[in-house]
Amino acid sequence: MRVEATTSRQPPSPRGVSRLRRLAAVLRAFWAVNLAEELQYRANLLASVVGTGFWLGTAVLTAAVFFRQTPALGGWSFWQVVALLGVFNAVAGVVEAVLRPNVGRIVEHVRRGTMDLILSKPVDAQFQVTFRRIVIWRGVDIVLGLGLTAAALVIGGRWPGIVEVVAFVVALAAAVAIAYAIWLGLMSLAFWFVAVENLSILFDALYESARFPVTAYPGAIRFVLTYLVPMAWITTVPAGALTGRVGPGFALVSALVAAAALALTRLLWRVALRRYTSAGG
Amino acid sequence: MRRYLALMRVGWLVDLQYRAAIVIWLVLGAAQPLVSLAIWWVVAGGGEVGGFGRADFARYFFALMLVDQLTLAWDVWYIDRWIREGEMNFRLARPLDPIHEAIADNLAYKAKSAALTAGVWAVTAVFWPAVRLPFEPAQWLLAGMAVVPAMAIRFLSTYVNGLLAFWTTRATAIAELQYGLSLFLSGRIAPLSLLPPVVTAAAGVLWFPYMLAFPVEVLTGQVTAGPEYLRGLGWQLLWVGIWLGLYRVVWVRGRRHYGAVGG
Amino acid sequence: MIIRAESLTKHYRVKVRDPGLRGALRSVFRPRYREVVAVESVTFGIREGEIVGFLGPNGAGKTTMIKMLAGLLYPTRGRAVVAGYDPWTGGAAFRSRFALVLGNKQQLVWDLPPEETFLLNRAIYAVSWPDYRRRVDELVGLLRLEDVLGKPVRQLSQGERMKCELAAALIHHPRILFLDEPTLGLDITAQETIRAFVRDYRDRTGATVLLTSHYMADVTALADRVLIINHGRLLYDGALGALAERIAPVKRVELTFSREVAGAEVERFGVVRSREPRRATLEVPRDGVAQVSGRLLSELPVADLTISDPPIEEVIGRVFAGETGAGAP
Repeated sequence: MRVEATTSRQPPSPRGVSRLRRLAAVLRAFWAVNLAEELQYRANLLASVVGTGFWLGTAVLTAAVFFRQTPALGGWSFWQVVALLGVFNAVAGVVEAVLRPNVGRIVEHVRRGTMDLILSKPVDAQFQVTFRRIVIWRGVDIVLGLGLTAAALVIGGRWPGIVEVVAFVVALAAAVAIAYAIWLGLMSLAFWFVAVENLSILFDALYESARFPVTAYPGAIRFVLTYLVPMAWITTVPAGALTGRVGPGFALVSALVAAAALALTRLLWRVALRRYTSAGG
Repeated sequence: MRRYLALMRVGWLVDLQYRAAIVIWLVLGAAQPLVSLAIWWVVAGGGEVGGFGRADFARYFFALMLVDQLTLAWDVWYIDRWIREGEMNFRLARPLDPIHEAIADNLAYKAKSAALTAGVWAVTAVFWPAVRLPFEPAQWLLAGMAVVPAMAIRFLSTYVNGLLAFWTTRATAIAELQYGLSLFLSGRIAPLSLLPPVVTAAAGVLWFPYMLAFPVEVLTGQVTAGPEYLRGLGWQLLWVGIWLGLYRVVWVRGRRHYGAVGG
Repeated sequence: MIIRAESLTKHYRVKVRDPGLRGALRSVFRPRYREVVAVESVTFGIREGEIVGFLGPNGAGKTTMIKMLAGLLYPTRGRAVVAGYDPWTGGAAFRSRFALVLGNKQQLVWDLPPEETFLLNRAIYAVSWPDYRRRVDELVGLLRLEDVLGKPVRQLSQGERMKCELAAALIHHPRILFLDEPTLGLDITAQETIRAFVRDYRDRTGATVLLTSHYMADVTALADRVLIINHGRLLYDGALGALAERIAPVKRVELTFSREVAGAEVERFGVVRSREPRRATLEVPRDGVAQVSGRLLSELPVADLTISDPPIEEVIGRVFAGETGAGAP
């Protein structure tokens, strides 16, 4: 309700700065309600920390099982793989905190008809379905994941230089954007396959492969993970940029890939919406 | 028996409504074993790792996917929802223990998911010789006999875990914990013999390997008829017994707790 | 007496959560409990074939009572005997004797046509095929379910769904019917269909019906006898007719005016419960309501007029606080 109050005062199609300001106001309104809700469940914080700690431990031990038999996976040392696992967990945190509770609900919006409500608001629909709510407790995953990466760098004994850190930040931002694009792409398909409720599970299945550097896979799979389903760009490139396994130039390529992926899914989203509105819901 | 047929019919019909969803769950279930297989494939290279060559790994993980589907149980999530949403009430008011509904549902689902997995495996085997199993009906029979108690152990441990929802809202989190442990102790990440000896020994006295790794090893022919097979079967029966006992205790106490505090 | 309750009592222990993070942590390590009285020393008996209504506001203890009688909860003190069984220990034999319908929970399988749930219940309650066919034909006829039997439950309207819930619950010919808020969320027509069906069903089969509701109309239309319960205590047990004399026999008339109307103008029609410049709520004697409404419409600038029963909380409060309300004899 507060959302409408904030937006209806504005003219219908603002541009430039005023448009950004208005989107920011909408965001504030979305999240104020959301935060109040989430604060009801403070005990979740403790559970999140325990759960994330457990899964990080599991991931590291899994890598250790492989390293019992081999000194390197696809050229990566144990601590380099652990640094990658930190990135894996941080991006998974973004998925759980922002993507699943928002983009993951598109199918539900379509099935329950609440999509019509969203489309009737004077704010871009993609923006609305993306940022409606955040599950802040899952931010723990992001913090602990990046913490694990930092710890792996310290123990691994190779501290990154400034260029590598910058490349990492760029590549990580690109990774989040790519993850978002894949989610939105999958969910846009939901407009065609409304019966398939759990399309988002496909992301989870694919993301499972991002636990290891892409170079640790057989050639054909490596090709698929790099060019067809761009999982390599989500964990291998950021972690590689930070550990020096991948040159800083890759961060820029990564940004290009992200831009292309975003543009492509935006297009798919619009086609899907057009189909939805012309089909009359 | 007639009740089971009716219950399975409903489970089967409901699943049919979600055909596509089942395929997606299968893909998710296959992801972890396939990733492990791909990594081991490269690690093994042209040689062997701890006695496993490339083809051995391929057979192991394909067998793992099949046994995983055969023993799969989701009941924690169902029971948690039944209790949270109050659907447990009418189940308790019926002259039928809810566990029978769970078992029937479970069997109906498995019939489909396991058939699909076996089909995919068979088709893959045509193109990829590495995953072919030697034709040994006797061995397959032994594997079949090991799968049944494995199904019982996994189902019962999941169901008992689900009944914890009578007391806590975090029953599903406990189930995730069990899954995390089973990554190592059930042989999901690697065949048990590739783990540190301490872990292998610890796993050997717990229920985890007997609901997955053991039947897989029989199916791939690592364990053949003999004392090792009988020992495994003995452990399986022991754990079926233990989980049955736990189920009785937890069910009676859980119902009493529910009767005291309500849903 | 097919149902007997003797000093039936139910207390819950509820965890007390203090606000704030420290409170949350403390409740994990050193939980504090508060005793909540849901039902306190309730005694009554119900004869075979009676329709008895539990009446009371939300949270009065009606559902707890039904759950104790159905053996889902066990009493803190006192005991119940239902169809000769102790509900808590009665087991499968006892559970075949009754049916439980919860207005806000459903047992129909969501994705399948209702008929599948009927078949499932046939197996669960071990009903023979000839009996099953006869029952289904009868229920389908009475409830007019011909057109909905083949549709998935998720496509049914609320009213259709509740009718199917009832049919599914009756496949095994239960002697006792526990209906918890059976008309919750239904529109007026659907409510009336359900009521007519329940009454008719009792007349045909002689089953005993115990229903809870917080709608007056459910109980007045159906019950031979009402038990009024509030804050867990039984306040009244007796025939509806006798109650009607004790309940303020009034109707509530809500008015919206097209212009502002002075208080004095409204007061001459009945007791004014609330008033704003363009709205008013009146209470008028039940038998005079038609005539008063007619006069209101012709003499005042009425834009909208609705007639309803006073909310049950108020009625109970008034009856048992000794006040009998306007227009009482």
